[in-house]
Amino acid sequence: MKARRVKGLEPDAALADNAERILRVRLDELCSFMPAAADPTAVVALHDMRIAAKRLRYVLEVTGPCFGPYARNATKMVKELQDLLGEIHDCDVQIPETAGFGERLLAVDAAALREAAGDAADLDPALLKQAPHAREHAGLAALQAHLRARRLLLFDRFLELWGDYERKGFRARLEYAVGERAASAAADGVSIGEQ
Amino acid sequence: MAKAQDIDVAPDEPFRQAAARVVRLRTAELFDHADGVLDTSDIERVHDMRVASRRLRAVLEIFAPCFPPNEFDGVLRDVKQLADALGARRDPDVHIDALTAFSKSLVAANRPGVARLVEDLRERQTRGNEALAAELDRTAQRGLRERLLALADAADERSAA
Repeated sequence: MKARRVKGLEPDAALADNAERILRVRLDELCSFMPAAADPTAVVALHDMRIAAKRLRYVLEVTGPCFGPYARNATKMVKELQDLLGEIHDCDVQIPETAGFGERLLAVDAAALREAAGDAADLDPALLKQAPHAREHAGLAALQAHLRARRLLLFDRFLELWGDYERKGFRARLEYAVGERAASAAADGVSIGEQ
Repeated sequence: MAKAQDIDVAPDEPFRQAAARVVRLRTAELFDHADGVLDTSDIERVHDMRVASRRLRAVLEIFAPCFPPNEFDGVLRDVKQLADALGARRDPDVHIDALTAFSKSLVAANRPGVARLVEDLRERQTRGNEALAAELDRTAQRGLRERLLALADAADERSAA
């Protein structure tokens, strides 16, 4: 997903003023994926929302200390959201990958069984024991069930987390915080780093 | 996971001055994590370098207007390419780790299938490691570290001008 362009950045202007512009755009970008991402089948919207969360998080990590105290809370909240969306994305990648892998093994087994049957009128089920991957299908099916169930669970957690952020006024409070300037920071400098 | 080093920032300092300092620090962090990154027995090394590459890419994008555009575009492209190579190596690492843990909770009859998938992922991990080795060589040949530091210097010089 291409990031929205931030207009009006001025290299010679104050860090906080430029960062405020960036944060407002990145926050709006993140929030714009709801309610589309509340649809569990909207895999692309969820993925894009994760990227938007990552972009917002990194700007907050670097410039958050320039702003009001809520910016620090918001950094943690966005990281939590990004991590959860990342876990969901991992499931969305692994489910088709695992299914594809299982399909390839099934195709190999089917070809081997067909060859083993030779000129028989029908396939003898007893031949199944000879399939090269006979012992492997059950585990892959169990893994598929696990990944699908985990995806459902994580998605429910995402809806709960976002609902919680909305109830706590995440967007409005962060918008307010980026309009504030950390008072002591201007004189002394404030430390930024992973939060 | 490697913690990003603290940097002092002041809300009123010029954007480009902060850009120079932050890019220098994030550049140093990236290359500090390069040691042992191809060692597949310690998957945290590649993870730390990948995280450092993401942080560097992020600050380049945040401070983009502070740098000379022609040099900046090439540097950002190379950082993305390195980050992609780190990601391609890291993804199977994570998947293998998760499947190994998952396998322990399975009944014996279900383990061979998961083990087979882990085998397949180990092949992908090896290919990812080879691609990463080539990308690290390219990074050195293209002088990425020096070009990143030159970008930071350019932002500083513009501040002084």
